[in-house]
Amino acid sequence: MPLCILRNIRKSFFIGQEEVEILKGISLAIDEGEFVALMGPSGSGKTTLMNIIGCLDVPSSGEYIFAGQKVSGLTDDELSIFRNEHMGFVFQNFHLLPYATVLENVLLPTLYVSRKKDSEPLKRARDLLKLVGLEDRERFKPSQLSGGQQQRVAIARALINDPRLILADEPTGQLDSSTAREIMDLLQSMGHGGKTVLVITHDWETAAYANRKIHMQDGLVSG
Amino acid sequence: MERFFKIFQEAAIAVRAFKLRTFFCLASVALGISSITIIVAATEGAYQQAFEMVERFGPDSLMVLGGSETTRAVGHREKTITLDHVRAVEEAFSSAYVVVPMTAQGNIIASYRERRAQTRVIGSTHDYSQAWTWPVVQGSDLTENDVRGLRNVALLGHHLVETLFGQEDPVGKYIFVNRIPTQVVGVLASRGTSPAGHNLDDRIIMPITTVMRKIQNETRYINNFRIRFVDARRLESHEQELRSFLRELQGTPEGAPDDFRIISPKEIIGFLVALTGSLVAFLGIVGVMSLVVAGFVLANLFLLSVKERTKEIGIRRSVGAKKGDIRFQFLCEAVLITSLGGLAGFALGVAGAQLLTTMGQFPIHFSWRAFAVGLGLSWTVGILFGLQPASRAANLKPIEALRS
Repeated sequence: MPLCILRNIRKSFFIGQEEVEILKGISLAIDEGEFVALMGPSGSGKTTLMNIIGCLDVPSSGEYIFAGQKVSGLTDDELSIFRNEHMGFVFQNFHLLPYATVLENVLLPTLYVSRKKDSEPLKRARDLLKLVGLEDRERFKPSQLSGGQQQRVAIARALINDPRLILADEPTGQLDSSTAREIMDLLQSMGHGGKTVLVITHDWETAAYANRKIHMQDGLVSG
Repeated sequence: MERFFKIFQEAAIAVRAFKLRTFFCLASVALGISSITIIVAATEGAYQQAFEMVERFGPDSLMVLGGSETTRAVGHREKTITLDHVRAVEEAFSSAYVVVPMTAQGNIIASYRERRAQTRVIGSTHDYSQAWTWPVVQGSDLTENDVRGLRNVALLGHHLVETLFGQEDPVGKYIFVNRIPTQVVGVLASRGTSPAGHNLDDRIIMPITTVMRKIQNETRYINNFRIRFVDARRLESHEQELRSFLRELQGTPEGAPDDFRIISPKEIIGFLVALTGSLVAFLGIVGVMSLVVAGFVLANLFLLSVKERTKEIGIRRSVGAKKGDIRFQFLCEAVLITSLGGLAGFALGVAGAQLLTTMGQFPIHFSWRAFAVGLGLSWTVGILFGLQPASRAANLKPIEALRS
């Protein structure tokens, strides 16, 4: 059974008085364990689609089903819980809290856990830091780390609540090619570990890691 | 619960991280709280002093002054009470355990060898120290025979002893009171200053008969008398009884004003409250105004902070923070800062009160109540003025916040 099912998803924004349709009816399915690259020129609606899949945003119309549950129609609080439990985000600009330490950043999603399921977030955070090779940096501030290291912290943060879907919006956009490769290797190993990974990129080298590529053009999936 | 605690910790981290914001909010709240703290302490001090005064005056006591209220108001003290009245009251009121007449004379020159002092003489009976709960600490009290025999004997106030005798023991020595040689038989305990600034220890007490006959050349009238009742709880009804008794005694026609004035402990409290009231009101206005200003400073800095931390809010929302979590965190930050400001303000208030007490004779009393009021107000400011910025933060759309 697919993890994500999207049926005729549309999304429009108002820019001033004018309504602009960004997504013009997208239907697709992503299977559990897939490593998907979402490609397309800027303005094609990649990020908007990812935000909807990641429950950061809601579609104007259409149906979205995640793991058998209908997402469209959930309240804001329910979407928050959904993100907290099932989604792990990795952003192009890392998006770490500048004043918090590496460890505090990794622990951030555990603050908002609603159902008590994990007993040892601290131990898991340290295990994840070890996994991404930063076990000796837990007291550092993000500004004391290189871009690649910051992105590893972000990946550890994305994994801490053991989500089913990892969403990465141009995760290598700010990194040099060798660091980019390291980050993609890391994401790929997540995929081998059974996680579903969705990566936005317009870099073919990055897209080569994916076992499926979705091309977008002008608000529609083009093949 | 655990989640609230964790978010509170996040707030604490942010309070430490954004030091400048914390400092400015904290300082402005501290200023407001410090003046409020002083007000509460001053009010408490005034009440405590009033309580002490009543204790001293005697919660079971009434004092009757000669002259009507209107003539006293224009500074003219009529003498309308006689020793016969006092005797009549003493006989009529079995509910009173002491009735003491008094008459006062100012501008008295007292001298001992080369030393002279200008003071006042109070003529009374052997019950004087009991009437005022004012013990004789050296020598002995006046006796009934002193009064009956118009003897030239005196009790001295503490201050006068220091002026006339220095370190010398005054008991048994002779002084001149307006050229009348008088033997000092005892010394009254020190009482300090009255709220109006009179030195209470600057006085001579002599038998009322001696004062009337030899100093005032007066045969009938006295200034006032004090009466103490066994049952202090019935003081108000006693006051009514005494009033109608005296009116009848003096033959005051119905409808005419009293030819005397009765002072009760309640009036003393009113007097003291009026004395400190104006300063309390002034500080109150200043305090409340500065707290409101502090609130606006807080709201302003928090709105700026929300703008500055938009991305942080987006990040927190993306990892699963609900609107309520964001609002709670910012409220926690505000309340945390204002609480710290409240504590700092309390310390500042204590220091300021110290300054006030040394500068002027102003009673100040600190208690847990001043502290609680300060803390409560700082929480109120934190919640009231933190709510709007916190809600603004909570209502940011996650994707827009992340994009900023």
